[in-house]
Order: sequence, then C-alpha cells, then structure tokens
Amino acid sequence: MKNKPVDAIVIGAGAGGGVVAKELAVNGFSVVVFERGGWPEYDEHINDELINQRVQELDSAFGPDWKKHPRVFAGKDGNRRILNAGDGSYNHVAACVGSGTVSYGAMGWRFMREDFRLKSTYGAVAGSTLEDWPISYEDLEPCYEKAEWEIGVSGDDTQNPFAPPRAKPQPMPPFEMNREARHLAQAARRLGLHPFPIPMLRNSVAYNGRAACIRNRTCCGYACPVNAKNGTHNTVIPLAMQTGNCEVRTHCMVAEILVNDQGLATGVRYFDERNKGQTLGARLVVVSGSATETARLLLNSKSKLFPAGAGNNNDWVGRNLQGHAYTGASGLFDFDILDLSGPGACMALCDYNHHNEGIIGGGLLANEFYTLPYAFSQNRPAGEMRWGLGHKNYQRENFYRLGRLVGPIQEIPVFESRVTVDASVKDYWGIPVAVLSGDRHPLDAPHCDFLGSKAEEILKEAGALRTWQHGGGRGGPSGGQHQAGTCRMGNDAQTSVVNRYGQLHEIDNLFVADGSLIVTNGGFNPVLTIMALGYWVGDYIVRTFKK
Amino acid sequence: MRLSRRKFIQTVGVLSGGLLCMPSCTRSFPEYRVFSSGEAVCLTALCEQIIPADHDPGATDAGVIHFIDKLLHERFPHLLPLYQQGIAALEASCSRLYGTRFASLPTARQIEVMQQMETDALPEEYWTGIKASAFFRQVIRNTMQGFYGPPRHGGNKNYVSYRMLKLDFPLVVGQNRYT
Ligand SMILES: Cc1cc2nc3c(=O)[nH]c(=O)nc-3n(C[C@H](O)[C@H](O)[C@H](O)COP(=O)(O)OP(=O)(O)OC[C@H]3O[C@@H](n4cnc5c(N)ncnc54)[C@H](O)[C@@H]3O)c2cc1C
Ligand code: SF4
Repeated sequence: MKNKPVDAIVIGAGAGGGVVAKELAVNGFSVVVFERGGWPEYDEHINDELINQRVQELDSAFGPDWKKHPRVFAGKDGNRRILNAGDGSYNHVAACVGSGTVSYGAMGWRFMREDFRLKSTYGAVAGSTLEDWPISYEDLEPCYEKAEWEIGVSGDDTQNPFAPPRAKPQPMPPFEMNREARHLAQAARRLGLHPFPIPMLRNSVAYNGRAACIRNRTCCGYACPVNAKNGTHNTVIPLAMQTGNCEVRTHCMVAEILVNDQGLATGVRYFDERNKGQTLGARLVVVSGSATETARLLLNSKSKLFPAGAGNNNDWVGRNLQGHAYTGASGLFDFDILDLSGPGACMALCDYNHHNEGIIGGGLLANEFYTLPYAFSQNRPAGEMRWGLGHKNYQRENFYRLGRLVGPIQEIPVFESRVTVDASVKDYWGIPVAVLSGDRHPLDAPHCDFLGSKAEEILKEAGALRTWQHGGGRGGPSGGQHQAGTCRMGNDAQTSVVNRYGQLHEIDNLFVADGSLIVTNGGFNPVLTIMALGYWVGDYIVRTFKK
Repeated sequence: MRLSRRKFIQTVGVLSGGLLCMPSCTRSFPEYRVFSSGEAVCLTALCEQIIPADHDPGATDAGVIHFIDKLLHERFPHLLPLYQQGIAALEASCSRLYGTRFASLPTARQIEVMQQMETDALPEEYWTGIKASAFFRQVIRNTMQGFYGPPRHGGNKNYVSYRMLKLDFPLVVGQNRYT
C-alpha cells in the first residue's frame, strides 16, 4: 500500500521543506517528502574544483540533472534560450536532499528589523513592488532561535552592534578568524567600522553528535567530508525520519498539485523513481521547491477554480523574483594575505546594511570564500593577460595575495521580474518548464557601486596596492542561489500570494514554505531566514490542522 | 620518457607474451579519442602558448590535450565541431599568411597569430560560420580547466599546477600527499 494517503505532503527537501517536514513529523503528522534529486554523497565528487555547486564547469555536483531539467531564459532583447544548469543564466540552487544546505557557504544570518519594514523605513520606490512584510522581526525571532539551535550556528552576536535583539545566544562559539579576516578587520576598525566573526551553520565545536570543522579550503560549493556543516539533510530531515512518521521519496518529480472543484488541495501527481506517473493523496500540501520551482509548480497546477494555476487568480504567482547581486571589491597585497585556513569567509561588518545616505537598504560586507586555481584563473582585473606567460606569472604571484570584501546587496523588487511557464518547452517528464524574464530595478546598479566603493576603501586602508570594484546589479532577471520572492506573503489577497502563515489566500490546505515567501530579500544571505520561515509555517500548520 | 598509448600497448603485448593481443587488436589504437593526429599537433601547440612551460611545467606537461580530448568525447561532444572548424581555420590562416602550419611557427609568431585570433583579425574567408574569438575563448577555458582542475579528469598530470601554486593535495591544509 505504497500510496496510502498521508496527512501532509512536502515538495522539496531543501532549506524550507526539511524544516517543515520535521515540525510536522514530530507533532504526529504522517508526512511524505518528495525530492527530485537523491541523497548527497561526499565521495561522488569529493573536492572537485570543476564539479561542485559553486564552479559548475563540467557538471552540478548536487543537481539538477543537466539533461532532464531545461529552463527558458527570456532576455529583455526578446531572445529566448533553452538552458541547462551549466549555463550561468539558469539560476538554480541545487536538487538533492538538503539542496543548497549541503554545499552552501553556510553563513547563518538573521535579517535586521528594518528588513521586514523596508517600505516604512524608506518609503515607496517608483517602479518597484517594495513592501513591508506582514510579519515582524519579533514574530520570527523565536523561529530564528530554533533554527540556530536545532540546525546549529556558531557565532557571537554581541560583537555586532547592529545585530537585532535576541533571547538566546547562538549555541556554539564563533570561529577564529583567518589571516585575511584579521588583517581586514584591523583596517575596518581603524576606519571606525565594526567587524565581527560571521555566524556560520558549521560546527566550531562538536555539536549534536557531529564533529567540529577541520577548516579545509573547499567548503562553499562542496559537501563536508567530516559532516561538520549543518544542513537540513543531516539535522532536521533525519530527525523527522526517526519519528517513524516521515518518508523521504527521492528521485520523485512532482508535476502538479491536485486541486478539487471546491478549491481544496487533494494531493499531488508525480513521477516516481522509475519515471512512472503516480498520485498521492493528502490532507494538506506544502510546496518548498525554491522560488523558481515552487512558482512553476503552482502555475502548472491548473484546476476549475484556478485556471491560471493554483492561487494565481490575481496573476501574482511567480512575480517579484529576486536574488542578490554579490558585489564588493578585490585588492592585491604585497604579502601573502591568505593562509588558506578554510573556508575563507570569517569576518563581516553590518555598518552598511541600513541607513546609508541616499541608499535603500544596503548590504553586509565579508571576506570571501577561497577560490581555487581554476576559478582564480578566470578572475582578472582589467588589463591583465588572460593567457600566456603574463597569465602564468599573475597566477603564481597573486594566488595568496588577493584579498576580497564582498556581500549581497538588498535588491529592489520588480513586478515584471518573474517566473512563468512555457507549455511548448517540456522537461524529461513532459512537464512545462520555468521561464525567467524581466529586468532588475535601475537602483540595483548604483547600490552595488556604493557597497563596492566601501569595500574598496577598507582594502586600501588595509594596504592593498591595487584595488578594483566588482560592480554588478545590471541585467536581469536576478535569482540564482539566493532566489526569493515569487509567492509573496501579505495581508492583502490582491497583492500577494499567501497570507502571513504561508497559506494560499484561496486554498486553505495548500502552503508555501521556502524562499518564495520572502517579501524583500535583505542585505543578507537568506537561508537562516528561510529555515525560520519553515518553523513559522510548520508551527501554524500544527496548531490549525491538529487531528 | 613518455610512452605513447600505442607504444604502451605494443610494449605490454610483448611483455605479456602476446596474451593481450586478440585478433581484433591487430588494428592500431588511435592516440586520441576525437582528434586526428594533425589536429592534435595544432591544438597542443595552441594550448602550450596559452600556458607555456618555463621553470614550471606548461599545458603539454599537464596533459591538457588529453583532458580536452576526453572532455569532447565523454561530456561535451557538442563542442567538437567548434574545435574541428577552429583548428582547420587556424591552419588555413597560417598556411595562407606564412606558408606553414601553426605548430611550425616560431613562438613570437604564434603569439601574434593568437592575438589576431582573439580580436577576429585573421583572414575572414577561413572563419565562416564560426568566430575566431569564440573558438579561442573556448580553447582558453578548457585549457585552464585541464591545467588547473583536479587530476581526476585527465589533466593537471602529476599535480603540476597544484605544485606550482604550492597547494597541498588533497585539499586539507597541512596534508601534502603528492607521492
Ligand atoms: C554554493 C552555494 C552557497 C550558498 N551559500 C549560502 C550562505 O552562505 N548563506 C545563505 O544564507 N545561503 C546560501 N546559499 C543559498 C541557500 O542554499 C538557499 O537560499 C536555500 O537553500 C533556499 O532554500 P529553499 O527552501 O527556498 O529551496 P531549496 O533549498 O533549493 O530546496 C528546494 C528543493 O526542492 C526540490 N524540488 C523543486 N521542485 C521539485 C519538484 N517539482 N518535485 C520534487 N522536488 C522538487 C529541489 O530539488 C530542492 O532540493 C548558498 C547556495 C549555494 C548553492
Ligand atoms: S570548512 Fe569545515 S564545515 Fe566546511 S567542509 Fe571543511 S570541515 Fe566541513
């Protein structure tokens, strides 16, 4: 009786989905989690610089499968390209149990209070759907705490004067800074700034039965060889499975959420690990496929009451697609500033996250995850040789001498930046694929230039001989590893997709719990906020759907 | 001394008293999976100028040509036409301009030709259907992958680039395990 109906179906075993599945399973709900990828294995790709999730030259180590999951990119010049995940414009996170949380850099940031009240803080912005969240930082604070303690964060917020208030400290002490971080932190302090150790979803000490980090230089983009990096695949998902209430079905691709004529979700249609079409019934369905795939799935779920896709009668599903322009600056030093004590990023400052003259939002700055020899060969300041002896000399001279300060900039949401579906382009299973289209807001570019110039100032103070800014924020749409925003939370059913609990305004037993919920994506890497939202949505479901 | 693949097989055949030699293997093994030997000579010279040997090894020592050969065979066969057309166009351009093959040109001249390739300044009639700069960019990218990527894909032989950059392998700080 494999397909006996269950209480809850969760689609996607990533950051949001993993957390919701655990919340439901420990509270007695029977849960099936569908994941289109498999369980991640370190040994398959080890620390391969050409096949990981950051440099995907030969393949994406943790999915999606290049052959089975095409997408369409519709540029503003009107040309449409069919892409696989090897193309930079494809804009994916990953596809495996844990998704991005297996291979992420693991910065575990809380957003600041202002990030939930962007419109109240800065006013309306022309050409943007900038809005306040329907929930506040205070609402989400207990959920951040749960994420930090159940999944595991190392850090010390008392060193960050801009950190929002918290009830409990992070569970593990912060990581020691590496040479680059120490050096840049000293320079930042001389400039009156406030550097501190980055909160990390990695074990600085043994925690929850797993070992402490050994600080190798391949972390961001790779699975952890000693299981010291905390994702949903090695924390909440195993917890959910241990209850006996949760089954994770890997290599299963959900094609459609079934919605009946009364406007309630009845289950899903999916393709199993043998690519056979199946259906599974449930009392409620939670979609956690990441901002692009969640929107695609809702749009592909057409029914009598929702002919344009589940919850899409107002045409808001898939809109406001956001990500982060990662910007900053690089500097060359006349000494070895890198000691390759992993994972690279150790130090950050939040002086530029808010209240910058003439800027809406802003972003954090942090020293960067290490790049290995191939990626380093692709990164040159203007005017440097890309081949020949000039190339080789640069490579030898500067591999340990390049310091960087980078961060995610608050992007200004745009209504036309969006995910739609294209019935004429189908994936391996015949399901219409996602189309990405639209442009960024014109303010993103000057905002990037602002943060880049601040990064450059600090590098110069630190003694860099030659510096350059990274620019960014041009061209669109954004999305990528920090994709967010496509199923906006809101109190007004006309201008959002779900209510403050992630519940579709018009379908009571259908929920979203992933980056799609995010109203504005902050000047922070988003994953801890997505995990917190998982607890927030999960808690509401447990309270309202208890048997 | 480096043994070619064919030589190696012959040697093994002799050493093992011909045991390995089934009737079907009297045909000689080609040295490359996708390239003709002429194409390989041209591409080897091109890659070697992209990462030339000096006191540190270059693209040839790292086995970049075999990395690319394997890559086009196993993973990206769709790139093969670009390579074949690009190599043919480069050879035709050199033959017209200098009356010889790219690989036979002196270093300074090779670099000059590559600069022209980079800026699409080689005789246009040989570059129909493909752009010289696009071909060159692709070769640079794959050369860098073969030289700097991990040895498991057939390039970076003997960890030459990791040694050059003083990187321990595997990538755990302080655990040098080259040998
Ligand atoms: C290299 C890298 C570094 C990163 N570093 C950081 C960092 O330092 N800090 C940070 O905050 N964030 C980081 N991120 C981003 C972070 O991983 C994402 O923000 C986060 O995982 C998104 O969570 P999500 O729940 O929205 O979606 P995901 O975690 O992507 O989960 C979605 C899951 O749903 C599955 N799925 C989708 N559609 C279907 C379907 N139809 N059927 C079945 N399964 C489906 C997908 O395969 C996927 O596994 C990084 C990401 C990467 C890749
Ligand atoms: S740096 Fe630490 S957390 Fe990251 S992969 Fe290495 S051991 Fe794991």
